[in-house]
Amino acid sequence: MKTNFKKIATDGVITNNPTLKLVLGTCPTLALTTMAMNGIGMGAAVTFVLICSNVMISLLRNVIPKQVRIPAFVLIIATFVTIVRLLLDKLLPDLYESLGLYLPLIVVNCIILARAESFASKNGAVASAADGLFMGIGFTLALTLMGAFREILGSGAIFGVKLWDFQIGFFASSAGAFFTYGLFIATFAFCSALISKKAKLKSAKAQNLNQEKGGN
Amino acid sequence: MKTFFKSDWFKCVAVLLALSVILGGALAILNDVLFVDAEERTARAIKKIYGEEKEYSVVLDQENGFTCEYGAIDKIYEVGEDTLYRSTGNNGYKNGTVSLWIKVVVEDGKQVIDKVVLDGYDKQTLMSKFTSSYYDGFLTDITDAVTSGQFFSPKTDGEGLKNPMSGATKSANAICNAVNCVIYHISQGDLA
Repeated sequence: MKTNFKKIATDGVITNNPTLKLVLGTCPTLALTTMAMNGIGMGAAVTFVLICSNVMISLLRNVIPKQVRIPAFVLIIATFVTIVRLLLDKLLPDLYESLGLYLPLIVVNCIILARAESFASKNGAVASAADGLFMGIGFTLALTLMGAFREILGSGAIFGVKLWDFQIGFFASSAGAFFTYGLFIATFAFCSALISKKAKLKSAKAQNLNQEKGGN
Repeated sequence: MKTFFKSDWFKCVAVLLALSVILGGALAILNDVLFVDAEERTARAIKKIYGEEKEYSVVLDQENGFTCEYGAIDKIYEVGEDTLYRSTGNNGYKNGTVSLWIKVVVEDGKQVIDKVVLDGYDKQTLMSKFTSSYYDGFLTDITDAVTSGQFFSPKTDGEGLKNPMSGATKSANAICNAVNCVIYHISQGDLA
């Protein structure tokens, strides 16, 4: 069966965005979106783990018995998370410190286990790698946008660069994190519904035109 | 025997064991390759404090090398004319500790705390309340404190130097104790 990479890409970034549509991985989303840079850092780490674990699980899908698939998946995911921790501690210590406790918590991030169970264990390695990549991009985009929003309003800065002195402390707080998340989910749902409605109208118009042509 | 090796139970255990051994082995190798040693960590701490890498000489590098009622100092480095301490203050929240890097410089014959940077903590849950502006509250001339036995306190009343933090007094106590440990060490005049 030919892999539909376009569908995988649009699913991961837009249609089934793990953060804004599936509402998975909320713990790091709420905790790390105080700054845009943290969003990018966490997103990059999750994307790496997603791609590697998806590929490995896909390659071993005919070897791992169904009865122990979850512990096997967690073992594989935990290995790649440890690799990420070792790499960040060695090469990017500042990012390693800012991600803190949320780095090892990637092991239990629902996005990774969900994609392993629902996609990687049923598809080939290339398709699984693509799925991991685009799901990771969707997650990174959502976290970065939320982080930028909270950083601009809460700290008056973007990517650590001071913009102005105006700050709304609420957006830097935990309550502000929940509010921002709800706002982004609502906005995303509204935009998705609008685009879906326009697409339906367009296809209905095209259908009517075809019927009229057929009648003539 | 053949049925045992073909059973689901055996396959499950064998796969999990094989994965554990192979992945564990790979991690052990990577841990060796990507290991960050104590010297590199010290160089990073110095870069954090000075903004660049600097040569340093070791005066003390031993866990609990110097202990007092306020905590312990396990590292003392001479960086040029400055002295860098890694001090751990006790009596924090839930009897936890806070570790700081403290840079002391000598200006016109006076001992001055020039920089305080957080290095780590144990059992403290409100450390996010302590921003850089709190640690800047310790940047002061401590010559009189050293000679007269004055120390930092997180309380707003009483004698001595003050650096309070509303809503996180116990953690502030551990932070103050880390600084007080350094003041006490200097007052003892023991740098060896």
